[in-house]
Formats: sequence, C-alpha cells, structure tokens
Amino acid sequence: MTLNECYAALGGDYNEVISRLRSERLVQKFVLKFLEDKSFDTLVAAMAGHDRETAFRAAHTIKGMCQNLSFTRLGDSAHDLTEALRNEWSDSADALFEKVRADYIATAAAIDRFKTETGL
Amino acid sequence: MEGRKKQKILIVDDSEMNRSILADMLGEEYDILEAEDGVQAVGILSKQASELSLVLLDIVMPKLDGFGVLSAMNQNGWIVDVPVIMVSAESGSKQVERAYELGVTDFINRPFDALVVRRRVVNTILLYAKQKRLIGMVEDQIYETEQRSSLMIDILSHIVEFRNGESGLHILHVRTFTSMLLDLLMARTDKYELSPRDISVISTASALHDVGKIAIDSAILNKPGRLTPEEFAIMKTHTTVGADMLSKIPVQHGEDLVKAAYEICRWHHERWDGSGYPDGLKGDDIPISAQVVALADVYDALTSQRVYKPAHTHEEAMRMIREGQCGQFNPVLLECLTENAEKIRTALQGNNAEQIQQRNLRSISEEALRGEGGAVSERTLRLLDYERMKYRFFAAMSDEIQFEYTVSPCMATLSAYGSRMLGLEEIFMDPQHSEKLIGIVGQKTIDKIVARQRETTPENPDSSMEVLVHLNGESRWFRIITRSVWTNDVPPKYAGLLGKAIDIHEEKMKLSELEKKASLDPLTGLLNRASAREQIENRMLIHPSGNFALAEIDIDNFKSINDECGHIFGDRVLQELAQRMKHSVRSSDICCRAGGEEFFLFLEYNTDIERTVERIFNNLCFELQGRRVTVSMGVAQGGVAGLSYEGLYHAADLALYTAKEAGKNRFCFYDDAMKEKGETV
Repeated sequence: MTLNECYAALGGDYNEVISRLRSERLVQKFVLKFLEDKSFDTLVAAMAGHDRETAFRAAHTIKGMCQNLSFTRLGDSAHDLTEALRNEWSDSADALFEKVRADYIATAAAIDRFKTETGL
Repeated sequence: MEGRKKQKILIVDDSEMNRSILADMLGEEYDILEAEDGVQAVGILSKQASELSLVLLDIVMPKLDGFGVLSAMNQNGWIVDVPVIMVSAESGSKQVERAYELGVTDFINRPFDALVVRRRVVNTILLYAKQKRLIGMVEDQIYETEQRSSLMIDILSHIVEFRNGESGLHILHVRTFTSMLLDLLMARTDKYELSPRDISVISTASALHDVGKIAIDSAILNKPGRLTPEEFAIMKTHTTVGADMLSKIPVQHGEDLVKAAYEICRWHHERWDGSGYPDGLKGDDIPISAQVVALADVYDALTSQRVYKPAHTHEEAMRMIREGQCGQFNPVLLECLTENAEKIRTALQGNNAEQIQQRNLRSISEEALRGEGGAVSERTLRLLDYERMKYRFFAAMSDEIQFEYTVSPCMATLSAYGSRMLGLEEIFMDPQHSEKLIGIVGQKTIDKIVARQRETTPENPDSSMEVLVHLNGESRWFRIITRSVWTNDVPPKYAGLLGKAIDIHEEKMKLSELEKKASLDPLTGLLNRASAREQIENRMLIHPSGNFALAEIDIDNFKSINDECGHIFGDRVLQELAQRMKHSVRSSDICCRAGGEEFFLFLEYNTDIERTVERIFNNLCFELQGRRVTVSMGVAQGGVAGLSYEGLYHAADLALYTAKEAGKNRFCFYDDAMKEKGETV
C-alpha cells in the first residue's frame, strides 16, 4: 500500500496535501503521528460525560489536524460536530459524533494498514 | 548579520501535531519554543518576550484561549515588540476582527501551506524588525552636521513615503511649494521676518512633516476606504508622535532645523480658524513654518492621486482651497498662492533631475534599513534583558512572596520563591476562585484583599494588612502589602495589583508576648490597673445592658503581716490571694492587682449577686503557714452606681471604706446612702 493508496482508503486528498507540505517524507511522518494524538479519546469521554466545552475543543482539534493532513472525510464530519457543539449541545450532536467515530475508525484502520504493510 | 543567533518563534497550539507541522515547515532557520495552552504561553512570554521574534497563536485552546493570550500581551505591552500571527481553523469575521483589534499582525488559515507559512513568518519578522529600527534611528541618531541632518531627513521622509504608499514626489512637492510660498510671502509682507537661511531651514524641515506616520499602523495608513472615528483619532497622533520623536533627538548642531521640524510636525494640521489638530491653535499662534507646510500639504494632496481618490486639476484644487473645503488658511498666504498660481504649477511639474536624485536617496535609505539601524534595537533589547535579570535576581534573593494580579486576563503570577513556598503554579487563572489558593489563605482573606483593593485609588494605591496563612498544617502570620495598578484611561480603570507577602509570624508572636507582659502584674500574673481598666471599659461598651459589678478588695492589716513575717511571706500572701481570686470567678471575669495590697474584680452576674460575693469573700479569707489572712471588700453594682469605670470604682471605694470602718473582715455593698456620705467625706 502506498501513501497515495492510504489517502484514497481514508477519504483524503493526497495531491492537495503534497502540494501544501511539499514533501512526501513530511506527509508520511504526520500521517503516522495522527495515530498518536489523544484528541479522539478525549472526544469519546467528553461525549459520554456530556462535557460540551471539552468535546467542542477535541472535535475542533481533530478538525484542525484533518485540515492540515487533507483528511477530507474525517475533517468534514469533525467540522459538522464542532459546529453542533459550538454554542450549545445541539440535538444533532450525538448523531454527528457517531459519524465522526465511524470515520475516525476507518481512517485509523487505513493508516494502520499502511504502517504494517510498509513495515514502519 | 551572518552567524547571529537564530530568531526565536513561539508556537502556541493545543495539538502537538499542529505544533510539529509548523515547526517542521519553519525548519532549521528558527529556534522554536512550544506552548500547549494559553497559560504556558503567557508564562514563556513573561520570561522572554523580548527574545521572541514572533508568536504563532491558535485561538481555541484549553485553560486560556488565544484571545486571552492577546489581552495579556496588550496588558504587558508585549504586543508592541512581539508580532503575533493567528493560526486557526476559525474564520468567523467577528473573531478575525477581534483579533486585529487586539493587535494581531496576520492570519494563517488551516490547512497550512508550507510556502505561505514561511513567507508570512519571514515578512512579519522583517516588518517588525524594520519598524523597530526606524523608530530607534529617529530617536537615537545624533546629527553631527547640518548636512548630515539634511541627508537623514531625506532618508526618513522617504521611509515614511514608502509606508504611506504615496507618490515619491509628495515630499519634494511640499518642499518646493514651501520654499516658493515663503519667498512670495517675504516679498509681500515683512510681518514674519524670515532670512533666506530661515527659509532654507524650513523648506528642508518640511520634508519631515509626516515623520510621525512611522508609528501609525500601516493598515490604517494605507486603508483605501474612509477611516472610522477611532482610526482617524489614531491617524491624528502622527502630529504629536512626530513632534515627540524630534524633541528626543539630542541636538548639537542644527537646533534651528530640529526646532522648525518640530513646529511643522506638530502643527501642520492646525487651521487658521482654530479648527485643526492637535492643539486647535488659531491665526498666527500657528508658526508660519507650519502654516505654509499645511497649505503645501493640502495642495499636493488634492492634485495627486491617492488610494482613496483621483487627482484634481490645479484649477479645481485652487478653487477647493479658496472655498475652504480643506479648512481655513492665512488670507495673506492665500493671496500669494492665487496671484502666483501659474508659477507654482510649472515649478511643481518640472523636476525630472531631482527625481533621479530621489532614486538615489531611495537606495541609501534601503541600505540604512539593512545596516546600522539594527544596533539600536539590540541595545534596547540588552537593556531590557538587563532590567529583567536584575528584577529576577532580587526577587530570587529576597525571601518574599511576590505576586501580581491582572484583571484581564484574570490571572495571578507568583515569584519563583512564592510559588515554591505556597506550592502553587507560578501562573494560574482566576485566583479569586482558585481552590488551592483559598485553601491556603482562606476565603476571608481573599474577600479582605478584594475589599481593600476597592478602597484604593490611583492617588492612594497602597494597602497593607496582616493575615493568617495555612501552610503545611501550620498557621503563620503574614503581612500583605499591595499596590493597585490603573490604566491610563480617563477616568483610570482598575487593572490589577502588585504585591508581596512577608512572613511576620515570629515578629508578631514576640510582639503579642510583649503586649501581654506589659499588661500583667509581674508578681501575681493578674492584670495591672491600666489594662484592667481598658478591658473593663471595652466590656461595658460591648454589653451596655449587662449586669456588672466591681469589687474592690484590700488585705486586712497587710502592713503588720509584712512587718511580722517578712516581705517574702507578704509576697506569697499576695500570690495566694491572686490564685484564689482567679479560681473564684469565671475566666471571662476580670481580676486585677491595682497596686500594693489592693485588688479588684470585675464580674458579670445573672442572678443573686449577694450570694456570689459571699462565696468569693469566703474563698479570699485563708490561712497561710498558720497565719490567718482576711480581706475587706467593697462592691458596687452597675445598676446602682451607673455604668462608668470611674463611677463604679469610686462607689466600690466608698463601700470598701464602709467595710473597713465597720471593723474589716467583711464585705459591703454600695448604696445611695453611701453616696451622700461619700460626698460629705
């Protein structure tokens, strides 16, 4: 699996990220780093505990990372969740969170496969 | 410039990955510091703001967000020296607007583009470095010769032009116009007495009329649309700022040049009818130099194209000036202008040769920017570093808890020693509601400090109080000294406080021990007369409706006890009586040795005072080493004798006299009959 294929699998835009970061080495470094970030765990806990502010910040952080990495699919769902939590706990927040969860799992799975197959 | 230390950039973002991407994009050229929330960022800034070349700041963060960091930077003046680029996925225009209001230089939106990030960072750092050096150049350069001054003036005025985005000809036009108009004025009237040299000096100085614009934000300076009232107010300050810069130049030669430049800078927006700024001067109160430059400035502005307007023709401009559309001018000057309109127009059109000279100047000024100017800001930085080092050294050497509090952001800062002593962070938010702080000093103390702060004013900012602090399971007395800090607004607003807390526990303990000693009779340990009186009076003041009685007690025949058994035995008798007094009454009652063998008791009673007095009396008669000791007692009740110490004491004295008269070894109550007797005695 190439990095390009990994991006296809996780619903990202490989060409866009390369045009911005200008180095495949950097992109790969940060893609792998994505798995280390704890924001998703924070988000899961905050959603369960109905802690709006923390959940908002965690979703916001995930959105920011996705934008930087051009993880379009997860970035979009994180964006929707961020807006649903910005000022109040909207009715749609829980459903949007389920979408984020699904996208995050798919994204993490793709990166994991890329990592295993390239032996990193 | 090679081999210099790397410039430091602070990246503030709660996502480690985002910090890391930015750091990688900026690469090896910079020293990167990282903070994962606003509080950490403020901590780093407070230690090394002057070393930082740039802050990249996220908005949404835990603890203290990006706006909080910005207000701290404004509060502490860091924003002046350290440019900030906001980095965020937030793009709401309200947030962008607020960020600009708080002094942000630029925005970088996610997703990051490596080229954009690098370019913006480089640009911002360069822009700030230049601006710092420019202001430094104006303030620090010593003009050794007039020639040199003239060169510097050209350089400086061209720098202003670059920032203004005006045509490079403006300065030249104003100068030519000024010189011509002054010549014409001299031909028409001798009212102003200017020599050809004066005219030359004023014309040269005219180039500096807008030098104060160096300090105006280029966003305002080059704004295409109309300025808001706030922006216009800032814009207006270029007159006073320019004048201030000039007044700071240490002048050896060319005083008249600097003086003319000062007049021109400060007053070239004044108008003949007093409607101008900054001082609203009228008529010939405005120096003639500034009057002429004002007219020149207006004429050239009208006939040139600007970002906000097209160029007017010479004829239109002359008409607008005469109609007073740009304010009123000296009528004599207007006459000169009208009568020589054609001459002026031609003069301003043909200066091609000078344009070439001007291009040379441009390259000179660019060189000046790259070169020596840097030394100035470095020196300022060194001085700042030195001051900071000095402060930290003294703070570290003194065993004092020093602290600061700012209202916005609501934040407390402790000295390193203070933080260690109290076990608190050096910086923490919202101290009034910090549970740890409340645990240490107690809610009451915090309320007390707040109340005391409310009483302070800019004129009387200091306050001092003693409070009990709980540390490591021990309570200790501290003295807290604070000074409130106020803004420069009119009226000033409360901005926070500076303070220190000194451990005065030992001192305080010693003092209260001394106070106690001074109030006690050394032989018996009972209160002495003075302190008993004070306590009695306090007691009566607090409970004016209480049932009080004062008993005066004398040891019968004490002189013969002393004579027969010796003074040591006599002392023991006094001590024994004192012990018995204490044991006969409640601890809240007051026992006193008034002097010699005279004692008294002050007690509060609820029920039967006679039985109480009888019980006490019986306790006070005793046998010591086979010797029988008896006392006489006179008792006065507040209800009968009145509630004053003097009255009670006098009444008890009369009662005691009566008891002694009746043969001693007894007690007697005061009554009104004694009063009459007392008066006869």
